[in-house]
Amino acid sequence: MELQKRSLIILCLGWLASLALASFVAGYYYMEFQNLNELLEKYESVIMRVKICIDYKELNETVVWYNDTIVPLGCNLLQATETVALVNSTRFPAQQASFVYAINGVWNHGAYFWMWQRWNGVQEMWEYGNVGADRYRLTNNEIVRWRYEIPNYT
Amino acid sequence: MRVKNIALLAIMTSLCVGIQLTPRPPNIEFTSLICFLTGFLFGSFFGVSVGTLTMLINGFLSPWGFGATNIPFQILGMALIGFVGGVYRKSCTRAGNPSVRWFSLEVSFLAAFLTLIYDIITTVSYVMLFDVNIIVALISGAWFIVVHVVSNTVLFGTALFGLVRIVSNVLGEQPWSYKKEVL
Repeated sequence: MELQKRSLIILCLGWLASLALASFVAGYYYMEFQNLNELLEKYESVIMRVKICIDYKELNETVVWYNDTIVPLGCNLLQATETVALVNSTRFPAQQASFVYAINGVWNHGAYFWMWQRWNGVQEMWEYGNVGADRYRLTNNEIVRWRYEIPNYT
Repeated sequence: MRVKNIALLAIMTSLCVGIQLTPRPPNIEFTSLICFLTGFLFGSFFGVSVGTLTMLINGFLSPWGFGATNIPFQILGMALIGFVGGVYRKSCTRAGNPSVRWFSLEVSFLAAFLTLIYDIITTVSYVMLFDVNIIVALISGAWFIVVHVVSNTVLFGTALFGLVRIVSNVLGEQPWSYKKEVL
């Protein structure tokens, strides 16, 4: 009987300890969340939010969206893409632009290239970008897309 | 107390200090285990003694730096663990020894609780020194506490019973008879 009582007390103490630990960890992440939110509010005037889509549909039927990606104000498309993906690119000084060879390990291959487009909210259609990604400055709430495709623009 | 017991106690204290001073990942330690074991085998007084001495020496020689105001709190926390080791042994003797599995389960739960108490006690010294809210201090160090509690829970649950048997064999006596597991 006493054995059971002792065991019960010890199990309760262990359970209390685990509860306290869980509370501390939850509190830790709540505090981190609050701190990051404060930081975000502090920098609100120098950041913007964009939506970036990486479309691998031609390769494996996958489309990945990075909504509300926070980037510095005046950031170009290449820099914004590099915040959400691993990009292999080379800058060509003669063209004053960079050429993207691969995104997240998917390389240009044969007739397939990584092409970028931006969403035209007025005409409600995707438009091909007409400059290199590092020459295109994003604006707040802009929607852009990288597509692995055989380019079909004219 | 027999000379053999005193010698063993001295060995345990030096072992404790040695391990405590060895560079190791933060908050993974064997001192609590040895203090609890000492308290369990030799009684609360010796458990408290080993805990006190170890943390006193550790406070001055720790590779993490001088313990300063933290020392009395570390001593208090570790002494408590040694003390509870003795109390637990008494309770086992009085109420009947549990089976090996049940013993391991009980000591691991006890370790979780005692480690948490130790961490709360040592956080109090930080709170007093830097004048911060204790809840904020505990939350800030949440992952350190988790590592400490989980590592001690696993250590006690897996190693304590084996250590009790080994030390009992070395002493040449059977200080604690345990029920064999029925498989």
